[in-house]
Amino acid sequence: MSLKYGDRYPGLLRGTGIGARLARHSLTLLAITLLLMPLADLHVLSRDPWAELGRIAQGLLMPHFGSIDAPFKALGLTVSVALWGTLAGVVLGFPLALLFSRSRLVRAGCAFVRAIHELFWALLFLQIFGLSALTALAALAIPYAGIFAKVYAEILESTPSAADDALPQGTGRLSRFLYCELPLAFGQLAAYTRYRFECGLRASVLLGFVGLPTLGFQLESAFREGRYFEAGAVMWLFYALIASLPWWAHRRLLLPLTLGSLLLLGPWPQIDGALLWRFLSTDIWPAPLLSGDLPGLVAWARDIPELLPAIGNTLLLGLLGTAGSLVIAMLLWPLASRHFGNRLTRAAGSGLLVFLRSTPELMLAFVFLLLLGPSLLPAWLALALHNGALIAFLVARHADSLEPGMPDLPASGRLAYELLPRVYPGLLALLYYRAEVILRESAILGMLGVATLGYVIDDYFQTLMFDVAFALLLITACLNVLVDALARRLRPRDVTHDDPCLRQEQLSYPR
Amino acid sequence: MTAEVLVELDQESLGYGDQVIIRDVSLSLHAGERVALLGESGVGKSTLLAALRQRLGQQAAWCPQHHGLVGPLSVYLNIYMGRLDQHSALVNLWNLARPLPRAWQEIAELCGPLGLEGMMKRSVSRLSGGQRQRVAIGRALHQQRDIFLGDEPVASVDPHQALGLLEMIDQRHRGSIIALHQRELALTHFDRVWGLADGRLVLDAPSNRLSLADLDALYPSAVASLPESTTVQAQEKSATPEGSLRCHRGRS
Amino acid sequence: MRHTLSALGLILLAGPLAATSAMADTFRFTAIPDEDESRLVERFTKVADYLEEQLGVDVEYVPVKSYGAAVTAFRNNQVQLAWFGGLSGVQARRLVPDSVALAQGAEDAAFTSYFIAHDSTGLESGDELPDAVEGMTFTFGAKTSTSGRLMPEHYLRQRFGADPEETFSRVGFSGDHSRTIALVEAGTYDIGAVNFSVWDAAVEDGRVDTDKVQIIWTTPSYPDYQWTLRGDADERFGDGFTDDVRQVLLDMTDPELLASFPRSGFIPADNSMYAPIEEVAENLGLVR
Repeated sequence: MSLKYGDRYPGLLRGTGIGARLARHSLTLLAITLLLMPLADLHVLSRDPWAELGRIAQGLLMPHFGSIDAPFKALGLTVSVALWGTLAGVVLGFPLALLFSRSRLVRAGCAFVRAIHELFWALLFLQIFGLSALTALAALAIPYAGIFAKVYAEILESTPSAADDALPQGTGRLSRFLYCELPLAFGQLAAYTRYRFECGLRASVLLGFVGLPTLGFQLESAFREGRYFEAGAVMWLFYALIASLPWWAHRRLLLPLTLGSLLLLGPWPQIDGALLWRFLSTDIWPAPLLSGDLPGLVAWARDIPELLPAIGNTLLLGLLGTAGSLVIAMLLWPLASRHFGNRLTRAAGSGLLVFLRSTPELMLAFVFLLLLGPSLLPAWLALALHNGALIAFLVARHADSLEPGMPDLPASGRLAYELLPRVYPGLLALLYYRAEVILRESAILGMLGVATLGYVIDDYFQTLMFDVAFALLLITACLNVLVDALARRLRPRDVTHDDPCLRQEQLSYPR
Repeated sequence: MTAEVLVELDQESLGYGDQVIIRDVSLSLHAGERVALLGESGVGKSTLLAALRQRLGQQAAWCPQHHGLVGPLSVYLNIYMGRLDQHSALVNLWNLARPLPRAWQEIAELCGPLGLEGMMKRSVSRLSGGQRQRVAIGRALHQQRDIFLGDEPVASVDPHQALGLLEMIDQRHRGSIIALHQRELALTHFDRVWGLADGRLVLDAPSNRLSLADLDALYPSAVASLPESTTVQAQEKSATPEGSLRCHRGRS
Repeated sequence: MRHTLSALGLILLAGPLAATSAMADTFRFTAIPDEDESRLVERFTKVADYLEEQLGVDVEYVPVKSYGAAVTAFRNNQVQLAWFGGLSGVQARRLVPDSVALAQGAEDAAFTSYFIAHDSTGLESGDELPDAVEGMTFTFGAKTSTSGRLMPEHYLRQRFGADPEETFSRVGFSGDHSRTIALVEAGTYDIGAVNFSVWDAAVEDGRVDTDKVQIIWTTPSYPDYQWTLRGDADERFGDGFTDDVRQVLLDMTDPELLASFPRSGFIPADNSMYAPIEEVAENLGLVR
């Protein structure tokens, strides 16, 4: 955009350029957030969070590994569930990916199953399969099938068509797929599957929070009961697992690992057909609905008193989390970028980002909740820090791949004139992709005691009123699908990839 | 010309959807004829070739611009893809795991003259640009069709190799239409030149009645003395010394 | 939705195949202690060993995280015996017909909850909850805990004639009793309701700073924790199995085993003892 003679002097934030548009966009988001913030309950309820923080830090710094109950069993189960859950997700999701662009039903179904968090699925399957490996696998496999279907379909669609066009006319669909689309997309498919497996590991740990005996089981009770030395030990075990991923999840070890881990999965449930049928046909549907009593249904719905505030809080927390992630990402990405600071600050910055992004939101929120009490504040902090760090990490990698045209500019000039204009559209796109995930997490954080939908859902699962719990799950899923559609409309065009962690180097940006 | 007409267009407009790229084009390809298709980038050479490919159907072997190869697969599999339509999906699937012996043999025979000997198992993504070019030509030759349609099939090989490849193409087809940028090559190695400019076929003449100056008219922006295009011209000249081309002119 | 169902179908197909290899006739039980869940498996495996020795069948301990999970496991026949709280026992016996309460802890016949308050509230111990608690913040324990939620809520409603949400400015669920004590001690909440035995044990061990948090009221007594066995146990493990299990539980005298619960011993119990709990739960809409 050269300023030609005769161009009008632009007003503040005026202009039709992409920069001005994105700036207006971000500022609107922040303004709406500030406007709605008074509605959120952001009290610090704890009178002395620092003492507790000190104890937690002490526990993390001086973990007591001897206090973990059967660590290798929990570790093995965590890995097995992640591996087989992801694998089952691939098996279910891949055929759906092939139908994805053709069938509206498949698209809707996939949007629905991935709108429900792994932990909610776990709560649901817990009622059918009990505390068994099947519950854990299904809780991972079903949402992942929906995610795989969508992402695989997008990858396959974006494969270059040149090779396909060169094939002789009359080549069958399957042959075309086997010889062109699949080999061309394979690298990306594999990279995404690998990333999803890493997500699966985190989710597998979290399944412990609802009682499956993975790493999270002890982590939760240790934190809850204040045994921070034990909690610290489990945390380190978890970080070691994530950090050593490239070695133990090496391509060549994958097959023996997969087969070997099958032995670690368990226990397998005895399935009582009558119970299962009762659950599917009766338990999860409101009684007035089954008897066709419509006025009764209205009364039934009125009896869910916390519904509207819970929906409001979930949406509000989602918005706060998204805006917070934007701020955190903007603040943190220069820390890990090669264009700023020295070797020491960069190492520290990268370390911080890796730490924040490998710790699941739920775990962060859990710790903040212990510190600050159950308002929206700890949940907000957790969402903003985790997602902000995740985005910052990718943005820093993108910035590192750029060569500044004028390397002698001072740091501030380099940031404002060289780097930010290039990385910002991508940053915003990642944020909008992430908005759906943030909302999903907002709902699930309720299980920790924050007043979002998860709180109410957990309530009804605890009191075994599955019809209400199921209806609330449906509402949560619908909210998520709506927000996803909204975010898709808002996000900057031309930045095509769905998942922020997908193909980190390949983010494409508007020209 | 009394030879059989292989394909013909009569006052047709070509393009994609509503967008017309070439207007009112009339042309015909006769048996035994080698046609060079010239014109600036973006003038519609690919559009014309695509239309001819459509028209010819099973008669045409096709070698697209930028090769259109599948990088992760081997040279053998990429060439095999020329006849993917001849086998059932099941056979094709099996071939991915274990090459069909007959196809392997045939493709090995093709790879020799193409200069791809000993590379059949190598994945295409690890080949040089020139080698890929030859794989793409190999795939088109493997199709064993009457007519060869090529969109700049010799753009990324050196002039000497280009002549060898064009020779191979000639030997195995009854006619060929090849889009080119090397104008000298069009005069020395082809029977006829079609020239596209401004969305029309402006030149359709036997090559022996044409001079380089005639062909220059097809490149108006090059004549407009932009610095970049003059260097391109200079490079083109130095890369294709006329003397070495002369002796290949015409058929033996 | 159709996708979900088809996925479910697949799982259903795979399930029975996997199930045949599992569990022939192992007797399984679960228990959640009302405090200190560390080394859960290790401690309760000792209980399992005791039961195995006495009953002559394979016995296994299944760890669970919450009362809800315990009830689910009981209902799905993943455990046949469970150490339930008052309310979770009622929920479980409603879901599994013919299941019976076998025994309760010696302390459970007359269980109480304490209302505890942070020092800064200035509240004093008394015969009833003072009016001054209105407008303060309050935390229950787990959502379906009898001593941490059900009975405290019942008495709160009796005392103030209103929802706890109306009485207090903020109502939370800490998740368990130890956490309730910690939260009130830290001042996160002004007041909390806690199981008396957990509080007494914590005070005895010096884990509570009684300068910061004190008892302000003790509830009337009610029945709480009990062992509940599925109704089909005799069918599966042989006639008289129910009586055997009851006797073995009553005979448990090893202090090391009892400390896991923690109880001084077990005494007989039956379903009818828990009718008051069931009534309160129905009134509060926690069972239906």
